[in-house]
Order: sequence, then structure tokens, then C-alpha cells
Amino acid sequence: MKKLILGIVLVGVLAAVVAIGANMTKEVAAEDSLVIGMSGGYKPYTFTDEKGDLVGFEVDIWNEIAKRIDRRVEFKTAEFSGLFGLLDTGKIHTISNQITVTDARLEKYTFSDPYVYYGAQLVVASDNTDIVDLESLKGKKVGVSLGSNYEEMIRAFDTEGEIEVITYESYQASLQDITFGRIDAVLNDKLAGLIAIEESGLDLKLGGQPVKMLFNAFPFVKDQDPDLIQDVNQAIEAMYQDGTFEEISLRWFPINITDK
Amino acid sequence: MLGFDYKYLIEVMPIIMRALPITLSIGCLAMVFGLALGLVVTFMRRSRNHLIRGTANLYVSYFRGTPLMVQLFIFFFGLPQVFPGLSTITAYPAAIIVLSINGSAYISEVLKSSIDAIDYGQYEAALSIGMSPGQAMERIILPQAFKVAVLPLGNTFINLIQGTAITFMIGLKDIMGMAKVSSAASYRFLEAFVAVGIIYWLITLIITRLINWLSYKLSKGGII
Repeated sequence: MKKLILGIVLVGVLAAVVAIGANMTKEVAAEDSLVIGMSGGYKPYTFTDEKGDLVGFEVDIWNEIAKRIDRRVEFKTAEFSGLFGLLDTGKIHTISNQITVTDARLEKYTFSDPYVYYGAQLVVASDNTDIVDLESLKGKKVGVSLGSNYEEMIRAFDTEGEIEVITYESYQASLQDITFGRIDAVLNDKLAGLIAIEESGLDLKLGGQPVKMLFNAFPFVKDQDPDLIQDVNQAIEAMYQDGTFEEISLRWFPINITDK
Repeated sequence: MLGFDYKYLIEVMPIIMRALPITLSIGCLAMVFGLALGLVVTFMRRSRNHLIRGTANLYVSYFRGTPLMVQLFIFFFGLPQVFPGLSTITAYPAAIIVLSINGSAYISEVLKSSIDAIDYGQYEAALSIGMSPGQAMERIILPQAFKVAVLPLGNTFINLIQGTAITFMIGLKDIMGMAKVSSAASYRFLEAFVAVGIIYWLITLIITRLINWLSYKLSKGGII
């Protein structure tokens, strides 16, 4: 009898845990919802606040776009390295995670109009004076985010293979590794660098001037309904016209990062 | 700013724990399905038919020989490119399927060696008194083999629970994903990872106790 009760209790607990787990992951994406993928770990673009809500620049942008094109919007967070897989398999409509338009990506995806213009920037230790541009990286170790376009950028410049590129899952971990002396520099976008240096309190600074001007946009799979991309582009255009982009940008950054 | 922030460690703990049902349910379901599947594979590996035996051995060899992360990536992102119908599988069942399959390979290895550990003479004796091979298995060999298997199966269960830590890659916010996301805002990675490590550790301690208790009960001849 005791065993029976114990068995029932165990099965009951298992069933309850499974029911809660299944419920928490239930994907209630309504037919007409736009599903936007992001890492959820890239402050202030996409991150969770103290209450556990997903917030940030990208979230605000898409809430606004969705309102203008009259669609509901849902956000899906996943590891950055998994985002393009989710896009390819149709589980999300697009990625909103500061995706830079590159030639390699253009071969596979259709991009919306750009919404962020920026410069790629080196971050180095405060006492480092010799790293100021890509040329001075030769013989050094530089960290980039896995799946980001910075590795491509370095490879395109460094045809002789003189720069050692280390890829990181996490941007913050790469910055920390500069202070540990494991790498000499990190290449990422200037603004994220500035903010991370300020907020993390790590002993870092910007190395030289921005390396290259780039722009970010939303990637769609090639067979995506062109009407959707057109609608998004119209919303982007309208948000530039009436200053919404500037307003959202200044909510999260000291400068307007959407400025052309 | 540097140093260790104990206050944040305490704060982030309940936030990470909100994702506990996801981690636990994937781990538990994978163990249940893995056991069933592992038992089938074990019998296939004992088959006289070369094809069945070969297939089962290849299965175990592949799923033990490749990292869980590779299996998850191939199943969730790779296969839908070849079979578009598979793209309708969402992350939660996909994680359970992949972990079950992965677990079943290890479980089959445990079960196989446990069955082998029971003296073959017992099997022959059971047949000699008129039991069918199936009855001999069910009544004589498996109950004893299961006693041998309990402790190593506990290891597999612990591995499955910890294997869920990579599921944020496919967008499941398990406790590991929760730790990554919540620490991104505060830059307090060390604290969040210590917190999630403590949670995994506690789960493992609880499982270990349960398994030890089960093993003790079985050794006294109870339960089965």
C-alpha cells in the first residue's frame, strides 16, 4: 500500500512538473503574429529588466513597427548562435539583434532597409597604446562574437592570416578576457563598446577611431512574402520621417544610432 | 564593480528558479522515454538477426559518439532543411526527443552490461524448468539486472538534467538560459553562473539521494 501511494505521488509530481513545463513553453503564436527573434542578452538592445520582462531598443522598435503595420508581435529569445537557425526553419519571421548587412548574408537573406548606422570599433585595455586600427592587430589576438560579422571583416583585411581571431559566445566574456590578458582587443560596434566599458567598470578603453562604417537591418528568408518586407520598409521610412526612430534611440542611448 | 556581489546572487536565484519546471520536465521526460527506448535497443542488440543487431549497435555508437549539442543542432536546424515537415516541431518537444534518444544510447549500454552481469546459468536453468525465453528474461534476469543498473542509470539521469543546459541555443529558456539572459543586464555573470551551478548541484543531490534509497530498497528485495 505504501509503495502504491509513493508511486502515485511520484507520478503525480512528474505529471505536474511536465504540465507546468509544457505550459511555459507553449508557443501561442497567433496566425497573424510576427515572431521576432533576439538574444535577450545584449544590453541595451535586448535584455530583461529587474521584473524579468524583455525590454530594450529592439523591443521598442518592433512594438512600433507592428503597431504601424497592424500586426501583433511576439518576441522569441534564443542563444545568438541559434537565431539564424530559427530564421531558416521558419520559426521566427526575422532577427532583431543588430544584424549587420554583409555580402555573405545578402546571398542567403533579403534585408529590410537599414535602421542603425554605426562604426566597428576596437576595445583594448586602458594601458594599451599600440592597437589603433586593423593594421596594428597583426600578431595580436582579437575577440569577436560567434556568428557576428566582425570575424569576416578581419579575414577580409588580414589575407595573410597574421591576426589571431578568438570567437566568443558572449560579448561580455570577451571584454573580461581583455582584462585577464587572454586577448589584446575586441572588435564590436562602437556604441556597445562605450556602454559596456562604462557599465561593467572594467579597465578598458576604445582603441583608435571606428574601423569601418556599417549598417544594420532585419534579415528575412528569401521566400518570405514580399508584402511583409515592403510593409516593414514603409514603417521604417515613416518612423524616420516623423522622428520616432530618434525618439526611441534616445530612450536607450546618449546619441541617435539610427542617424544616417 | 568587480568582486563578488552576494546580494545579486541571492536576488537572481528565484529569477533563475522560475525556469526550473522546464529543466526538470525535459530531464524527467527524457529519462522516462530514454528508458523505454533504451530497453528496446538493448533487446535489439541481443537479437540473432545481424541487421537488427547491427542497426542497434550503430545507433548506440552514433549517439554516444557525438556531442549532444551536435545532435540537437542537426535535429532542430539541419533536418528541417531536408525534410521541411520537421520544421513544425517546436523547441520543447525537440529537446525532449533529442535528449531521450541521446539518453537511450547510454541507458542501453548500462542495461546491456547489467544483463550480462547476471550469470548465464540462471537463464539456462529457467529454460530447463520450462520457462519461455521471454519469461526467463522478465522473471529471472531483468529484476536482478535492474538492481545492478540502478546506480549507473542515476548517472544517466543526472547527465540528462545537466544536458538541458544547452537548450537555450534553440530558444528554450531553461535555468541556464535564464541565468544568461538575466545576467546580461547587470554584467554579473560570475554571480549568475554560481547561482545556476548551485541549483544544478541541489537537483543532483536530490536525485542522488533518491537513487541511493531506491538502490537500498532493491538490495533488500523490496519493490520489484
